[in-house]
This record gives sequence, structure tokens and C-alpha cells, in this order.
Amino acid sequence: MKNSLKLVLAVVLCVFLAGVAGFADEYILGIGFTIFMYIALAQSWVVLSGLTGYISLGHVVFFGSGAYVFILIWGLVPVWLGVFCSGIVVGLVSLIVGYPVLRVRGPYFVILSFGLAELVKNLVLINEARMYVSMRPVFGAPALYQLYTAMLLLAIIATGLTYWIRRSRFGAGLRSIREDEEAAETIGVPVAKLKLLAFAISGVIPAMVGAIFIMRSGIFQSGDAFTPIVSFTMVTMAIIGGSDDAPGPFLGVVFLVLLQELLWVNWPEVYMIILGILLLGFVLFIPNGIYGWLSEKYFGNKKNVT
Amino acid sequence: MVKHLIIKTFVILGMFGMAYSVQAADPVKIGFSIPKTGMFASAGPSQLNAYLLWQDLVNAKGGLDIGGKGRRKIEFVQYDDKSNPAQAAKIYEKLITNDKVDLVVAPWGTPHHFAVAPVVERHKFPLVGNTAASVALRKVKPGYLWFTSSMMPDNVAKAMTAMLKSRGVKSVAILYNLLPFASENIQFLKPALAKAGIKIHFEAKYPPDIKDMTGMLIKVKAKNPDAVLVHSYPGDSILYMNQAREVGINAKTQYVMVGPAIGFFRGMFKSNLDGIITMGSWAPGMKGTTGSQKFYTAYKKKFKGHEPDYLDTVEVYASVQILEQAIAKVGLNREKIRNAINTMTFKTIYGDVKFNGVQNGSTPSGFTQIQKGKIEVVWPKSRATAPVADKGAWAN
Repeated sequence: MKNSLKLVLAVVLCVFLAGVAGFADEYILGIGFTIFMYIALAQSWVVLSGLTGYISLGHVVFFGSGAYVFILIWGLVPVWLGVFCSGIVVGLVSLIVGYPVLRVRGPYFVILSFGLAELVKNLVLINEARMYVSMRPVFGAPALYQLYTAMLLLAIIATGLTYWIRRSRFGAGLRSIREDEEAAETIGVPVAKLKLLAFAISGVIPAMVGAIFIMRSGIFQSGDAFTPIVSFTMVTMAIIGGSDDAPGPFLGVVFLVLLQELLWVNWPEVYMIILGILLLGFVLFIPNGIYGWLSEKYFGNKKNVT
Repeated sequence: MVKHLIIKTFVILGMFGMAYSVQAADPVKIGFSIPKTGMFASAGPSQLNAYLLWQDLVNAKGGLDIGGKGRRKIEFVQYDDKSNPAQAAKIYEKLITNDKVDLVVAPWGTPHHFAVAPVVERHKFPLVGNTAASVALRKVKPGYLWFTSSMMPDNVAKAMTAMLKSRGVKSVAILYNLLPFASENIQFLKPALAKAGIKIHFEAKYPPDIKDMTGMLIKVKAKNPDAVLVHSYPGDSILYMNQAREVGINAKTQYVMVGPAIGFFRGMFKSNLDGIITMGSWAPGMKGTTGSQKFYTAYKKKFKGHEPDYLDTVEVYASVQILEQAIAKVGLNREKIRNAINTMTFKTIYGDVKFNGVQNGSTPSGFTQIQKGKIEVVWPKSRATAPVADKGAWAN
């Protein structure tokens, strides 16, 4: 497909999805909300982990921190400004945290990223208990269609960002880190700077997603906001879809969310089992993800996918 | 081939016909979400069992009494919420807009109640809550949600202090889990103790997944307080029971917040559980309740000798009895049900319940104690089935 045609199609799709908010029933909007949420999360994950190969198993740390910042300023600033602020604050903090964290590589980074999320979770838990705040309900959150639209916007931004970074000089630098960090450094790629930047960028959108999410769940609790399940889910979706380019996570998320929804509604007792078998199947037989597999089969270009 | 097709068509039509005739009996569809997987999966059955027992008992009578105009059976529509509040919100949206249920009953746990509150509010579905207790719930604006729990932490703190004073306790050690409900109880307990002149000799908090509390307990033993108040959940309650015995905590008053009232604790700890005080204000057949002995017997029969959780299961059952009695009075019109819940006094296995705003205004906070392998209500005195006894020495 020509690029301009792709763009037109994408715009039409986005306009349609935004229009749906006006008349679809709540259940459909709820599913849409979940899809957009994971698209935004998985795309952000790809910026760091897909492109640099630094596999983060603790991406929920951004999601939860964003939610926490948001709930702390809830009621003090206008809602959407609050969402924006939580993204900025988390982005800035991750620039500082990322500095030592990104010195570690390979499996050690995977473990560290997971540990970081658990650490922040417990710090928040202790802090909340110290202030005797047990849970923070969110009263008077915007209506579902507003949250849906906001999440759609984040999904579009995240997808655009991944698409653009993948094709930019910055993205080429990130991918060179994935292929061989020493070699990249030798030929003059500023690896430390690029990694740190990717780390921060991949944290900003999840933070805003976290903020919007607690308006949906109606409550902030450390244990829920930092649950490792969110981390695992975004990794799974990115890997199933293919984690080297923007269309991958998009396909992975749509496929998995709809599948989950279908299984969950029709076979509530066994859906986890079916899901598990499917995941195994993907890892074993379609390791390049849906996007990698499609482009190989129909467009004949072999994608290099982690 | 054609013959086959015709036969098949008839078979299919016949099936539809059957499906239709079943539908003609027209049960009342009641929806809810339940944690079957995730963090709260182990807590789910204490709620689900109450719902299932209620369905059995009501359907055995021929169904729900619909405002005195005949009976309709109960049919449940339930989904796993994966212990995730946002999923619960989505489920209630689906139940209401997609499955078109007639009514909904409560999800499990305080966070889930917050999550579904805006949904039932928007669709004007009355929901009698259970398994949720937090002073933050009072901030929910009165509308379509009520909370049956009598364990609001500020009231529990008052009851606790009064109970300790009645036992002449001068000093306490406090241990508590960092999870919300426990820390909220401590928030109100500490000032209440200070006001009553009871000294806190030792205080420690611990993470939810604690694996060893020996270190804390040795310090508690050294301080030798009159009472040890452990604000724990089932997992850490087990840990306390084991390690307090090993360390030899010999305070005459020992409180273990959540767990001892669950059936398997008595099998697990036998006589060592005697004298342990726990959260709860119910025992089968206690005065002031309606049909609580019958509920207890029916529960043990349905669940093969297992006992109900004296805390959660009882409260859940009371919450559906409230709904049942409101329907018996006014039928299935949801606005009328809402008014009925706001104004009626309900006779439940938990005692008479009348709501004051969003909360149960009738049932007092209280404590039970295991005495000779039986759970007795020991506080408040107005509901007590036995006086508070001392915790005896640990057996090995």
C-alpha cells in the first residue's frame, strides 16, 4: 500500500472510532477503552523494549506512578490538566531513575525492571499506610465516552510516536543498541543518551494511561495500580503482535482483547486455559508475531523482530 | 438428503420450542461479578456460596415473591472479574446493557464497590452492598447503593476500646497488615485507645506477603502487654497463630482480625484457637436474628459439612435477604425497590437491618470469640451469646 493511502485509511478509522463514542452502548465503549489502553501501553513498551532490546517486565511502574501522581492532585487541578501533569512528572522522574537503571543489561535488566515496579508499589503502600489513607476513591470522574475518547487519543499518539521513532535517526540508533550495543558505541552512537531518552518517552504515555484508568476503575490502590499483570499483558500483546514496528502491537492488542472478550463471555470457566494454550502456540510457531508473519507471507519482506 | 434436512429442521425447531417454553417460566435474572482468579480468588467462595444457597432456598419455595403477585425463580448471570475493579465495572455495564438482567447483587470487596458505584448510579439499578467496609464509603452519595457491613473502622475502634476497658486492659501491642482495611482500623483505634488511657507498648506494621513475624513477636513478648491486637488477613492470621504459640505470647486478650471465623481455622488450630477474639457479630441462633439457625443448617447441608464464614457469608446472605424482602413488598420496579430499601426495616439472619443513608444503621460492630471450638458473640453485650473469656495457655 502507498503511504498516503495508509494515512487516509488510518484517519478514517480514527474518525470512525471517535464517532462511535456518540452512540455505542457502554459495553462496546468499555471494550474500546480497554483496546486503546493496551495499544497505548504496548506501543510505549515497544519504544523502549522492542527497539533497544532492553526487555522491561516492570512497565506498570509508569502506569502506577502516573495514577498515583494523578490521584494526589485530583480535585486540585482540572481533570485533563491533571492527566497531562502526571505524564510530565513521571517522564521527568524516569529521566533520573533511568540513569542508574539502564547501566544494567540483558536478563539483569529484566529482573531489575520487575523489581523496580515492586519497589515503587511497596513504597507507595507504606507511604499511604503512614498517612492512614487506605484507599482513594475517585468521585465525579468524567463519563465513559469522555474517557474512551481520551484513551483513543493516547492510543493514536502512542502509535504515531512509535511509527515515527522507528523511522527516525533516533530509532535507528535505538535499534543499533538492540543489535550490538558495543559496536554502536564504537561507531559513535550516543547509546547512554538514547537509552535514557527512550526510557523516559516510553514512560510518559503509560503514566497518562494510568491516570485515565483510575477514573475508570473509580479507585486508587497501590496493589491494583502496580499489579504486574499489566506489565505482563502489555509484553504479551507486543510479542504476539510483533514488537519491531507500530502495526505489531496494534494487531496484537486487538486480537488478544477481542479474543479474551469472546472467551470470557462464552466460556468463563476455561478461558484462561484456552488463552494460555494460544500464547504457547504463538511463541512456538509464530515467534515474529502476527505482523511479522503477515508481512512475510503477503508482502514478502522478512521482518527482523525480537 | 432432503429428508435429513427436514428432520434436522424439525429437531432444531423443537429445540427452540423447548428453549422458549423454558423461557416462558421467565425467571428473574440477577447478575454479579465474582473473583474466580487473581488476588481475591480465595475470598470469592464466602460470597458466592451465600448467593448459591439463597438461590436454592428461594427457588425451593417456588421463587422470589414478586410483590405478592406470584413467584418467579432466580437465575444468575455471573462472570469472573479477575479480582480487578475495572473489570467489575465492565461486567456490571455488560450485565445491565447487554445481558439485560433484572437486578444486580454486589461484587466482592470494597474497591469493587467503588468501581461499580457509578455504573449502577447511571443505570439506576439498586445494589445492596456486602463485603465492603471503609469510612470512605460514606462519601458515596446516597442513591442506589447501600452497605450492609457493621464493621466500619471508626465504629470497630469504639467497640474495641470499650471491650478492652471492660477487661481491665491497661496496655496493648498492635501489629497490622499494610493493606487498606487493616491500616484504616489502626487509624481510628490509636486515638480511641489514647482517649481511654490505654497505653500502646509496641506497634509494628508489616507487608501483606509477610513470611515470618517471629522478630516482632519476640519484642511483643518482652513488653508483656495485657492485650495483643493483630490486624491481619487470613494468610497472616495463620502465621500469627503458629508463631505466637512458638514464641509463647501469653496475653490473656488476643485479637486476630480476619480468619478465625472461617471454618477451616478451627480444624487447623483446634484448642489453640480457644480464647482468640476476632471480628464478627454473629453466631447461629443468636437472639435478635431471624432464621439464622435455619441458614446455618442449610449451609452445612448444601456445602457438605463445611461451615459458613461467620463474617462475610452471613453479611452477604443478609444483603440478598434485604433485596428479597424489598421485592416481596413492591415487586420488580427498580425505583420502588430503591425506596423500599431506603425506608423498610428488614428481618435478616444478621438481625434487623435499617439503613441510615448508605450504611447499616442497626447492626453494631462487635467481636466473636472461639470458646471450646464454638464461635460465640462476646461483644457488644446486648448481642452477646457468652461473656469474654481469657485466652488460656497454648497447647502443643
